[in-house]
Amino acid sequence: MKSNTEIVAMLNKVLTSELTSINQYFLHARIYKNWGFSQLNDKCYKKSILDMKQADKLIERILFLEGLPNLQQLGQLSIGEETPEMLNCDYHFQLTQRTTIQQAIALCESQQDYVSRDMLSDILEGEEEHIDWIETQQYQLEQLGLEKYLQAQL
Amino acid sequence: MYVCICKGITDKQIKQMVLEQGVGSIRELKQQLDIASQCGTCAKLTQQVIDNTIIDESLFKDVG
Ligand code: FES
Repeated sequence: MKSNTEIVAMLNKVLTSELTSINQYFLHARIYKNWGFSQLNDKCYKKSILDMKQADKLIERILFLEGLPNLQQLGQLSIGEETPEMLNCDYHFQLTQRTTIQQAIALCESQQDYVSRDMLSDILEGEEEHIDWIETQQYQLEQLGLEKYLQAQL
Repeated sequence: MYVCICKGITDKQIKQMVLEQGVGSIRELKQQLDIASQCGTCAKLTQQVIDNTIIDESLFKDVG
């Protein structure tokens, strides 16, 4: 089914963001694992897998619309050096990604591509949940202090 | 955080070069660190870190 190039380009932009996200969370997960923070490792590992599933949906949708999914393009990774910085990097990454997805949803809506729009809404829901999780971590960090917070992540 | 993933260079290392070696551009920084030499993705962020460090430094001078 042929769709307009604008939508395909926008879906590719979201795909780039998800592909970047896969790598960022995978690396953060394994950095946490290396330090023995298994809770944070689990969370980031699962986030990375979720991003992979979301990327898969985008790839299939772009192919369905007779576009070429761009798996070559990757954004800049923001990798922190210690836990609060890593959470902060993820937080800013999420906020930028959220804006991108919102723009994509608005475009699909205006072009009456409701199926792409619904798919993107699902993706956005997952991303917002993760933003909420990071905010909870930042609150706990502030309340408990770094040492106690990290103790709870073992 | 890591600014250059390819070479594992952090923002702290860049800041240090600006403050201690008076580095003011990517070209000057490249003489000190092997940055932005592989994929080049980090060039924009590297420039931002240099600029922000210079701005911070000059603000402190004004206050002091
Ligand atoms: S991230 Fe710096 S050269 Fe690739």
